[in-house]
Amino acid sequence: MPTRAFVSPWSLSRWLDRSSLLLFFAAWELAPRAGGLLETFIAPPSVVLMTLWELLLSGELCDHVTISLGRAIAGFTGAALIALPLGFLLGGNFRTFERIVTPVLRFLGQVNPFSLFPLFIILFGISELSKEAMIFWVCIWPILFNTITGVKGIDPLLVKSARSMGTGVVPLFFKVILPAASPGIFTGLKMGAGTAFFMLIAAEMIGASCGLGWLVWNAQINFQIPKLFAATVVISVLGMILNMLLVTLERRLLGWLDSSPNH
Amino acid sequence: MAGVVDVPQQIQTDAKIVVKAITSVFHLKKTRTEPAREFIALKEINLEVKKGEFLVLVGPSGCGKSTLLDILTGLAQPTSGAVYIDGNKVTGPALDRGIVLQGYALFPWRTVRQNVEFGLEIKKVPKRERRAISDNFIHLVGLDGFADRFPHELSGGMKQRVAIARALAYDPEVLLMDEPFAAVDAQTRESLQDELLRIWEATGKTILFVTHSIEEAVFLGDRVAVLTPNPGTLREIVKIDLPRPRHNSDTRSSAEFGWIRRKIWELLQNAPHESRHHLNAVPVAEAISPTASL
Ligand SMILES: Nc1ncnc2c1ncn2[C@@H]1O[C@H](COP(=O)(O)OP(=O)(O)OP(=O)(O)O)[C@@H](O)[C@H]1O
Ligand SMILES: [Mg+2]
Repeated sequence: MPTRAFVSPWSLSRWLDRSSLLLFFAAWELAPRAGGLLETFIAPPSVVLMTLWELLLSGELCDHVTISLGRAIAGFTGAALIALPLGFLLGGNFRTFERIVTPVLRFLGQVNPFSLFPLFIILFGISELSKEAMIFWVCIWPILFNTITGVKGIDPLLVKSARSMGTGVVPLFFKVILPAASPGIFTGLKMGAGTAFFMLIAAEMIGASCGLGWLVWNAQINFQIPKLFAATVVISVLGMILNMLLVTLERRLLGWLDSSPNH
Repeated sequence: MAGVVDVPQQIQTDAKIVVKAITSVFHLKKTRTEPAREFIALKEINLEVKKGEFLVLVGPSGCGKSTLLDILTGLAQPTSGAVYIDGNKVTGPALDRGIVLQGYALFPWRTVRQNVEFGLEIKKVPKRERRAISDNFIHLVGLDGFADRFPHELSGGMKQRVAIARALAYDPEVLLMDEPFAAVDAQTRESLQDELLRIWEATGKTILFVTHSIEEAVFLGDRVAVLTPNPGTLREIVKIDLPRPRHNSDTRSSAEFGWIRRKIWELLQNAPHESRHHLNAVPVAEAISPTASL
């Protein structure tokens, strides 16, 4: 996931970004008007906006977005709740055990979620749980591995320094271990959130009866090109918002990190 | 563990710190080239530090200076022997001893002020008081205006000042410092030395200061304890009779300064020659601590 350096909203480069986006929309609007094949396969932004507006008015859009986000949040939260404590235990207290189980975990982490999805459907049916299980599966590995790496990478000198001041176990965890491991943890959470959203759409396209992914898939089989474009735009915008939130959060939480290039 | 049972919990003494027959043995694990064996890092170290005294430990890399300091802090247990502060045996870390570790060890997610206040938070000092205290110590080490900076925004010398302020802030009676000025340039080093003396004179702390530099040892200390390696033993304690205050004066260029420096240098050079043979048994890579800052 790209981490963007902070750019002031009024800087020249921002305007360049925007102008490129404007150009893109203009080309998109004009291209289908050229007629021919493009007209059949590409819905111009004006039409897409109209469709979006209709979807919004009918309440359909809101339902799909809520359902999709609900699934993503449920799977992600479940994964974080298990992966974070497990990561702290494996990276901190049980190093030897961690060495033993890492190959297994790495293998599991490599298992392609799509090949597991049929299994989840057999287990949980086309219910919410099968989608949530999929999100859970793709989120748990990056969070777990990055937490382990983060905890293992804590400078022992910092722990030593805190302990020399008579810091007890609980303050040591909250005042030293947790913040020291937070860059790793955050990387994991960020990767998890990114993949979660990505996978969710895919999962919904394969086996769901509602949600944004289903909306795309449904529009496709019914050849509702404007609707397909509308759903895609919503997904992109949601993805961008998610990314922006994460970047903002990162800046808030990890502003203390040395971001100079020589580090 | 041997030795833990037979040392008294309390002793009668006027000294602030008493190091009594400390021996520290590391059990080295088997390596590809070598069987498991024991390594004597410190052997029978005896030392007394008076209240308000500035004692400096010098010795080559790997002679056990940091190990001794860890034991004094209570972070490590000696294999035998004991350390007493005010006659009470040290059993673990406590806020009566402040430590400045080798390397700055500042918390990178805390600002200068928050770093300085760490020990106070542990001590559960209320927020308003904490702020007054940290203001005071940030001023003392000359970092006014930098209170809200993060460590990565500071120079090496400034980080070192923060580490000192952090150790001073919770008002320990004893300050243990492990090569605090090793990572800064010569000029900054001298000004930090001056500053430390000024702080020491102002606060009356008992300081135990570890260094590689003979010059630094002579400039700072009331006495200099010379350690020799393999195994780490206390070779001699040299009294430094240079007049005080020594900062802002030409102490460093005086003849007496040179003479004492020479004496300590010779003590370090004429380390008992058997130790060379010891070195054959001990791989050099292991005899030198991984944190060596030569
Ligand atoms: N945890 C450990 N396990 C095994 N050996 C150790 C351990 N810690 C230190 N040693 C050994 O003990 C000896 C003394 O180490 P110590 O760090 O106290 O040296 P030092 O005098 O502080 O050196 P320097 O000036 O380089 O900091 C070294 O030979 C080192 O290899
Ligand atoms: Mg050392």
